[in-house]
Amino acid sequence: MTATGVHLEGVTKSFGAVDVIGGVDMQIGKGEFAVFVGPSGCGKSTLLRMIAGLEDTTSGSIHIGARDVTHEDPAKREVAMVFQSYALYPHLSVFENMAFSLRLARRPRKEVEEKVNRAAGILQLTDHLHKKPAQLSGGQRQRVAIGRAIVRAPEVFLFDEPLSNLDAELRVQMRLELARLHKALGTTMIYVTHDQVEAMTLADKIFVLKSGMVQQAGAPLDLYDDPVNRFVAGFIGSPGMNFLEATVSAHDTDGIRARPKGQPDLDLSVPITSRPAIDSAISLGMRPEHLTLTDGPGLQVTVDVAEELGGISYQYGALQDGSPVIFQQVGARHGLRGTVQNLLPEPGRIFAFDAGGQRVR
Amino acid sequence: MTAKRARNLAFAALVLIAAMIWIFPLYWALTTSLRTEGRIVSDSAGVLLDEINLAAYREVLSTSKLARWYANSIGTSLTITGIVLLFGMMCAYALSQLRFPGRRLLYLLIVGSFMVPVPALYVAQFVLMSDLGLINRAWGIILPQLIVPVVVIVYKQFFDAIPKEMREAVLLDGGGEFTLLFKLYLPLNWGITAALAIITFISAWNNFFWPFLVATSEDMMTIPVGITQVNDSFGVAYARMMALALLAAAPVILAYLVFQKRVTEAVMISAGVKG
Ligand SMILES: Nc1ncnc2c1ncn2[C@@H]1O[C@H](COP(=O)(O)OP(=O)(O)O)[C@@H](O)[C@H]1O
Ligand SMILES: [Mg+2]
Repeated sequence: MTATGVHLEGVTKSFGAVDVIGGVDMQIGKGEFAVFVGPSGCGKSTLLRMIAGLEDTTSGSIHIGARDVTHEDPAKREVAMVFQSYALYPHLSVFENMAFSLRLARRPRKEVEEKVNRAAGILQLTDHLHKKPAQLSGGQRQRVAIGRAIVRAPEVFLFDEPLSNLDAELRVQMRLELARLHKALGTTMIYVTHDQVEAMTLADKIFVLKSGMVQQAGAPLDLYDDPVNRFVAGFIGSPGMNFLEATVSAHDTDGIRARPKGQPDLDLSVPITSRPAIDSAISLGMRPEHLTLTDGPGLQVTVDVAEELGGISYQYGALQDGSPVIFQQVGARHGLRGTVQNLLPEPGRIFAFDAGGQRVR
Repeated sequence: MTAKRARNLAFAALVLIAAMIWIFPLYWALTTSLRTEGRIVSDSAGVLLDEINLAAYREVLSTSKLARWYANSIGTSLTITGIVLLFGMMCAYALSQLRFPGRRLLYLLIVGSFMVPVPALYVAQFVLMSDLGLINRAWGIILPQLIVPVVVIVYKQFFDAIPKEMREAVLLDGGGEFTLLFKLYLPLNWGITAALAIITFISAWNNFFWPFLVATSEDMMTIPVGITQVNDSFGVAYARMMALALLAAAPVILAYLVFQKRVTEAVMISAGVKG
């Protein structure tokens, strides 16, 4: 790993008696694009605000580069934040919004103009510098907020769900622009979102959070291919992973065999090295793209909704006992809605989880 | 269609009548000030403006200390307005944005001070000013008028409404409390500041009783107090008094015409707070 960008050690946060962040360790490399992802209320914003210095840290330490900033003022941490609501100064022009921090630092006028104009150029705001925020579209306001951060040349950029107020099309476009911006600036960025697609597409490193704890950290595809627990497995990937309750029916050389609930004549091969007891309960996880149609015995799924996207389609259905199953079809043109299909997971593409949701390997 | 039109007309007529009732005292003051003293008390003086005689104005301008009173009124009213706004704003900022022990209690005290009628304090304040040696001094007129809780309460409500993220953006940009107050909270509230300035100024300008108690020497009087000085050896001089009253009211009327919208806004906001 390269030099440290941001380093958290044993960080906790309590609001009164409520523990919101419970002991977070994380290492973000200098220049990395890190994404905190997790369901609403899991503590992503709180953690980001603690790094920014907008919330006190109850215990643990926060380092930016080599500096311990745990008890430093926000302004001295050399971080810039882009808020979900943009938080532009409504009474100031776009130019003055971006220049605000430089003016406070009493930078010479020439430097202020130079820096603001350069940022405006990068963000295509040059024609709007004299306007007030109220005269801008949502996407432009977003850019001004980013511009305000760029101008300060911070050591770390912090983004709190910056795209969630934009419409779908603009969101995709801004996502690309952010990726380009990160490439151009090479600065450490920490980005908070509840949208796993944003996380997958932007991140060098994803931190999946749940109830104030990091569930797993790693490169997007590592999380996708090798989740440590059922929560991460279900959260990463869209549409989500299918989970079936099953019992261990036999042990064999390549792993175990498991029998999904309500499917007495189906034994699925699960390639794991541990050997859970025969008849013990286990959850099986299968991604939609790893389920394929078969003529022989398989999971009997009644398809009730088909999402045809052209290249691929998602088929939504259920087993006899009602457990939902989603599977993906590539290039298929035969409508499956209303039909009953037999499905088998691709060999080796099946995850196992114990009753507590931990991955069984 | 016609029924609606008739209703509108009736409503307009009603408003017109009400407006005439309101404007009549002003009109009466104007006609009176334009008459000779003798005519005012005679039977021939009707409601119509049938005489334009500037003698009363000439007399008032040449014999009274009008210029001095104007200067006193302007000086005290401006000082009061400036201090009340500055301190009210800072106080409201602290109550709204800072976290310190006793904050809620302090706010309750300020809201509570609303309940105390100002005249109830006159005696205590007079004794205090007298002890401080401020009788017949500008500061004696000014100090007791600096207590304007409504300014604090209005500002606090407006400050409370500013999104937290904006404040945090300033903190990250390197600003402190003074930057926050003077570069964010104040500029976002210029409208309400103007409105509060106008009502504070007008009420200071119109204040009669307190300056009347404190300013006993003619040189220290404000305009409303000065009006009482205009009588001659035969008793009250109505024309001159009315002329002076109109001259006293002129700046306020002018301010009202210029800032009409703001004044209305201000009166409505403070009435809303006073409930
Ligand atoms: N100032 C606060 N006081 C008390 N509880 C808070 C405060 N801020 C956040 N919380 C709580 O902390 C938890 C995490 O909040 P947050 O970090 O905003 O979640 P996320 O951004 O992941 O949706 C939530 O349960 C929220 O109610
Ligand atoms: Mg959040």
